[in-house]
Amino acid sequence: MTDDAADVRRVLSGDVEAYAALVDRYYDQCARYAVRMLGNRDDAEDALQATFLRAYRALGRYQERDKFSAWLYRILVNQCRSLAARRSQHERVFVREEAALLNAADEREAGWTGEDEEFVQRVLSELDPLLREAFLLKYIEELSYEEMAALTGVGVSALKMRVKRACDRLRERWELIKHD
Amino acid sequence: MKRLAGRRGLVALIALAAAAPSLFAQGPDPLAKLDTAGRALVRSLVDSARAEGLPSEPVLSKAQEGVAKHAPNPAIARAVRTVFLSLRQARNTLGPKASRDELTAAAAALQAGIPASALADLRASGHGKSITVPLVVLADLVTRGVPRDMASHTILQLWMGGAGDADLLGLPKAVEQDIVSGAAPGDALVNRARTIPIRLPPAKVPE
Amino acid sequence: MTESERDPNVEWIAREARRPVESSAGVRARVMDAVRSTPLPVRPRRGMGWLTAPRPLALSPLGSTLLAAGLVGIGLLLGLAVTNRDGRLPTEQPTAVAATAQLPVHDTLQVHRFELEAPHASRVALVGDFNNWSLAATPMTRSADGTAWTVTVKLPAGRHVYAFVVDGAKGSKWVPDPAALRAPDDGFGTANSVVLIGQGSAT
Repeated sequence: MTDDAADVRRVLSGDVEAYAALVDRYYDQCARYAVRMLGNRDDAEDALQATFLRAYRALGRYQERDKFSAWLYRILVNQCRSLAARRSQHERVFVREEAALLNAADEREAGWTGEDEEFVQRVLSELDPLLREAFLLKYIEELSYEEMAALTGVGVSALKMRVKRACDRLRERWELIKHD
Repeated sequence: MKRLAGRRGLVALIALAAAAPSLFAQGPDPLAKLDTAGRALVRSLVDSARAEGLPSEPVLSKAQEGVAKHAPNPAIARAVRTVFLSLRQARNTLGPKASRDELTAAAAALQAGIPASALADLRASGHGKSITVPLVVLADLVTRGVPRDMASHTILQLWMGGAGDADLLGLPKAVEQDIVSGAAPGDALVNRARTIPIRLPPAKVPE
Repeated sequence: MTESERDPNVEWIAREARRPVESSAGVRARVMDAVRSTPLPVRPRRGMGWLTAPRPLALSPLGSTLLAAGLVGIGLLLGLAVTNRDGRLPTEQPTAVAATAQLPVHDTLQVHRFELEAPHASRVALVGDFNNWSLAATPMTRSADGTAWTVTVKLPAGRHVYAFVVDGAKGSKWVPDPAALRAPDDGFGTANSVVLIGQGSAT
């Protein structure tokens, strides 16, 4: 049995604190997706909180033959979509202080020291949400197209097109920004 | 679906689910074998590392290493704390612009007993270059038995003299050969260092 | 893969985006607080009628066997045999779950070959911070003449710590790479090695 399945069983049989183990296991990874998707930490935290609460309430419907991470991510992706739809159109750029907290970039990228995170977040935020979602699932979560299809409910060829378009846009953006 | 009989079938089904590779690279928790206190410590140090802008993966990695090596829990706790504290000291010494590799290399150097002042000297040497390579070489040499002060001084001189990464990286193997032939580690380093061409540090060192 | 997808700038963006984000413990604490005051989740109950009603499509052969054998609790049986939430049959689970756990190939990775002379070993594994110190993740292959063990791995640029685990007649042993830079004492009494990928002239 996987650790996930064991923890789920523990929770369902009354050990509520066992849920903390599940949260710990997946929080960082989900946080990364949420921040990249939503563009700022506050929204991401809202989405994460909603995701883990929702997952808890739905835990009885989790089936052990599924990958818990995939099951959880379906909830996370949907929460991020709903939250983005609810929030205003104007997206906040990733908070400056966090960019400063992160390590300086590789010396090869010396021109961007300390601001890589901001730049990357900014450029991602400029993508259409559906393109961004596909790009993140493919290149940050590193899922196969089949996995992405199962998770999002979108067809594989549509997803491939979105990923390609996302990469096109990012490349264009880079060309433009580079010459600022 | 295969026809599997009875309880064995159930166990096999669950085993199948468990054996299927993780959907994501990270997969199930590698720290599962650590005791509760250990996991709490790792979690809190990882949180603190992030809060302080330090790389947190080395903290987690050290815990994973301890579990893999079947180390007793107190040793793992001690090692994880050491990693965290040396990363913090590395950041304090090298400054906020230090790269992740510089920090982990510096932390290792500190753990090897190299004084923070030596690290600060490397950083202050005036190059814009990353000091990861001299730090890694320095830690290596000390681990082979070269006295710390001698190693620090020699590497600093070479670095300030413009010695390249390739020259520095060649030192450990050469020094090891001499040690195997019977030389004292400190002597071996000094002799080998002499073979590296350096120049008096000019005002601006070309990269 | 299209040209854009191979574009080094896009790959750089992906790589940077893959860095972990800073997160506070606040959300986790709030989640657990909320969870503690939420009713315990339960497996959906369909009532006894479901078990006896003929539903050949929903109940897999395994499920019906187990039910007949009376060996499994109702909760677990429901978990196994019921159709999933989307109403699809269990056999329609996405096959993508069998994706192999490979190292990502679109990061800026460099190929690196590890080698160890260990003619008397029965098994050697490469273990390090790049595979979570997992003994199972990166087994090495014996060379044709049987004297050396090798494995080629794609690693991201930077400093990595590792060692080899050698299985022989006397059991398992952790050994550093004699050809590599040394890491200081690991805190556990064994020695590790360091490899620098993509910096200076590497190892």
